[in-house]
Amino acid sequence: MKEKLSREEVLHVANLARIKLTEGEIEKYQVELKKLLTDVEKINEVEGYDEDILIACWDEFARLRKDEVGNMLDPKQVVENAPHHAGNYIEVPVVIGESEGA
Amino acid sequence: MKYLNKGIEEIHELLKSKIIKPIDLVEEAFENIEKNQELNAYITLNKEEALKTAKELEDKEVDNLLFGLPIALKDNIVTKDLKTTCASHILENFIPLYDATVVEKIKAKNMIIIGKTNMDEFAMGSSSRTSYFGAPKNPWDKNKICGGSSGGSAATIAARDVLFALGSDTGGSIRQPASYTGIVGMKPTYGRISRYGLVAFASSLDQMGPMTKNVYENAVLLNALVGKDEKDLTSANKEEEDFTRWIGQDIKGMKIAIPNFLMGDVVSSEVKGKIEEVISLLKEKGATVDYIDIKYLENAMTLYQIIAMGEASSNLARFDGIRYGFQAENVENIEDVYLETRGQGFGDEVKRRIMVGSYLLSGENAKVYYHKALSIRDDMKKEFQKAFQNYDLIIGPTSVTTAYDLSDPMDDPRKSFMDDVLVIPVNMAGLPGMNIPVGFDKNHMPIGMQIIGNYFEEAKMYQLGSFIEKELNLDLTPGGEK
Repeated sequence: MKEKLSREEVLHVANLARIKLTEGEIEKYQVELKKLLTDVEKINEVEGYDEDILIACWDEFARLRKDEVGNMLDPKQVVENAPHHAGNYIEVPVVIGESEGA
Repeated sequence: MKYLNKGIEEIHELLKSKIIKPIDLVEEAFENIEKNQELNAYITLNKEEALKTAKELEDKEVDNLLFGLPIALKDNIVTKDLKTTCASHILENFIPLYDATVVEKIKAKNMIIIGKTNMDEFAMGSSSRTSYFGAPKNPWDKNKICGGSSGGSAATIAARDVLFALGSDTGGSIRQPASYTGIVGMKPTYGRISRYGLVAFASSLDQMGPMTKNVYENAVLLNALVGKDEKDLTSANKEEEDFTRWIGQDIKGMKIAIPNFLMGDVVSSEVKGKIEEVISLLKEKGATVDYIDIKYLENAMTLYQIIAMGEASSNLARFDGIRYGFQAENVENIEDVYLETRGQGFGDEVKRRIMVGSYLLSGENAKVYYHKALSIRDDMKKEFQKAFQNYDLIIGPTSVTTAYDLSDPMDDPRKSFMDDVLVIPVNMAGLPGMNIPVGFDKNHMPIGMQIIGNYFEEAKMYQLGSFIEKELNLDLTPGGEK
């Protein structure tokens, strides 16, 4: 088994995770991510896979809330918590336009 | 005069009879924290507000045991108008707009929030060394780690700065630092305490819990934290109970199991020896202790890696630099805001886990890894249930060794998982687990024992924990009695 991921593999998972890596990090993670991914492969050695899954330990409490408007945060405060804002809006850089395909 | 090294009942009486005021306790807490500044236990202190609250309490009736007592909160529990960083650059200046449900409960008891404690970034780690603000130090030996991820909470309790702290435990993050610092740390049953306002790491595993210098005070604090919450639909609807009710009772006839896995070769002989001494004590006092096998425990770390990293990648997707927190500068379009903000804002451990988690949940992998892990986890829960048909409680060591050096290498990404190999199974099954100190190694570093209960049987755990605590009667103040 190879001891590290390829550069492309690291860039692929970084893209899935929406994380920009520096050159140094790419190299480091080629080795480190491989170790973790080797660990999780051990799940294949465990027998007993069936449809019964455990999400929360007590299903009896699983419930849904009524879809009602409750106490909300003050929209003004919420907007002001954003790094960039103007009036009632959160400011963001270009979404569509110049840098299409980014 | 020092008060914060006394028991809470004595302090309560002093407050009630107006011999002392809450502000005396708050001032003492800040003096302690100042004196122990080198421990780096806190990220943010709440001094001005705490003094103000203490003053306001002078006009109120001292109506409960927790009234006027200072408490420290792990910095992943959101506090209105008080910075909450998760020990991350990405939330370095984040000020929440609301209180977590536990914070509301603490305030309802008129406890006083003293500050926010240091931790591993987003609770990912086992030594608190992944904190953006530098690692906290162990009060027993400042060259050692205090464990993690709730390392700052553990350090401040061990140092006797304050009486109470909250931690969170996703894969041992309350119990393991408690074992390294010689304090009591309880991770209650999943669902006992509302997670609303706990910054999510792995939602199906996360649970907050009390960290204290002794068992009784731990149970008293837990009393105040539990309950169903409409804001967390996984919170359990259980009848109110007093977790202290069996403290002081005999353990004669109690049936205790010790899984062979928890006493395996990875556990140091010093730790194992101390646990064996406790086993002898329990037998002598009329309990039965049997070694048993619990299937799947050896797989718990793999399950944890898959479930915790998978859920983390999903939960941490919210940190995009748009709505709150840090945003990278000099970026031209929105995609780059995400990529650069997350690239610059998250530390190493967090990035690794999010990347692996994203891979584990992508496309068909979700079935191969995550879904299978949930299935084996269900099998593991059933195995625990079988054991609890025959036994009241399960015990074992909390950590494989005592606290190691702060300067130990951090280059193995598996290390933080391996440190927690004995505490992870409890989170997998959603069971309650508690650390109690049971002795010291040859360097006088604390050794901890884990008590595991069946669902919602925290009171029984406190019964056994307090019994052992009383029998051993250890001096758990670093540097001797203060």
